Amino acid sequence: MTATITTTLTVNGRQICKAAPAHLSLLRWLRDVAGVTDPKYGCGEGICGSCTVLLDGEPVSSCLVLAAQADGAAITTASGLLEPDGSLGRLQRAFHVTHAAQCGYCTPGMLMAAAAALAGSQRLSRQEIRARLHGNLCRCTGYGPIVDAIELAQDEAADDRGK
Amino acid sequence: MFIRPFDYERAEHLADACDLLRAHGEAAKVIAGGQSLMALVNLGLAQPEVVIDISRAAGYRDCVAADGYLTVGALTTHARLASDPVAARCQPLLGAAAGQIGNARVRSRGTLGGSLAHSDPAAELPLVMVALGASYELTDGRQTRVARAEEFHLGFLTTQLADDELITAVSVPVLGPGWGWGFEEFSRRDGDFALAAAAVLVRIADGIIVESRVAVGAVGDRPVRLADVEISLSGAAPADAAARVGPLRGIRPVGDAGASADYRAHLCRVLVTRAIAQASARSLEAA
Repeated sequence: MTATITTTLTVNGRQICKAAPAHLSLLRWLRDVAGVTDPKYGCGEGICGSCTVLLDGEPVSSCLVLAAQADGAAITTASGLLEPDGSLGRLQRAFHVTHAAQCGYCTPGMLMAAAAALAGSQRLSRQEIRARLHGNLCRCTGYGPIVDAIELAQDEAADDRGK
Repeated sequence: MFIRPFDYERAEHLADACDLLRAHGEAAKVIAGGQSLMALVNLGLAQPEVVIDISRAAGYRDCVAADGYLTVGALTTHARLASDPVAARCQPLLGAAAGQIGNARVRSRGTLGGSLAHSDPAAELPLVMVALGASYELTDGRQTRVARAEEFHLGFLTTQLADDELITAVSVPVLGPGWGWGFEEFSRRDGDFALAAAAVLVRIADGIIVESRVAVGAVGDRPVRLADVEISLSGAAPADAAARVGPLRGIRPVGDAGASADYRAHLCRVLVTRAIAQASARSLEAA
């Protein structure tokens, strides 16, 4: 029986190996053990999306996964979207430009939901973008600017591919 | 989120998990995708002393069609079930229902076996299993047995599973020639638990409904088949089907903060008639 367990995760490209209490969720492990504070605790039920991270590329609620269950996985949080030189990545710039963050609490989760949505090759309509954001709640912006941001990032990515 | 600490056991094989369940008794809970258990833990509604992780057990993730049945491993995620080509070809109702579950994050992690064992009365998968007449394969690590979906779900979060049993796989009949399916649910926001849901299968021959299976969820403590509706549909032309669906007698909706009992009953009837129309249209297409 294990009350403490050593977990190794590759977080935003950096391998982190830490022993921690076995009951810690991936969210608490990231925040309290590894010091990666981008994902936020919101509802604890998988409804609000503020703790969204990518686990081996798939969006998950990090509050509903045990860190021990994720052992060996690659985790991407909002910091993982930065450019290699530390400047804002495309999605982050788009959120900045369109004023898609107000209080900012939902933003790290929104960014990861958006990153998951834009990972596919198909172009998403505004309606489809909204559908991909089901499960990420924002209580400030009314969602319009967030959809604008994702659309903008999608357009920029398409322009880049066209060049 | 100051949850009560618990110990963690990782089971490499399902039989090991059953042994651990016997060793720890009621203090233990099994975790697969964790999309129900972790929410209960975070809210303090479940306080296990030991959590047994089966999410890394090998196998139990295949969708296989043979001898007229589609068999799906219990560790199959909702996302996989919603996109699996074999499931889509053999029993499209499964994928349609799985695609409606929660949100993308829930579907990434949540498993078929987990949803069925959790047995939330508003969940999509128990409903379609009852509609399809599914069989669940159960094991205690030493013996296996089969439970019928209609008998397995006993009530709110309550099933026939013994304390040391797990679901290993689910079998449903392959969608037969001439059959059509329909699935409808209503929730106030996408991703919320349904206020009411309906799953319907019909077979139309010579312009009339000759066979049907009708089940509803979220309007009682478990999904139920509506035998009286099935009987009333028999011999009906699809255009007359809605008129044949009277007040639903087989349900006991419960009023709560989400909706009153009367509203749920009304919704349920509306969704049943819509699902019948969907199923009829698909049956006519298939003919």
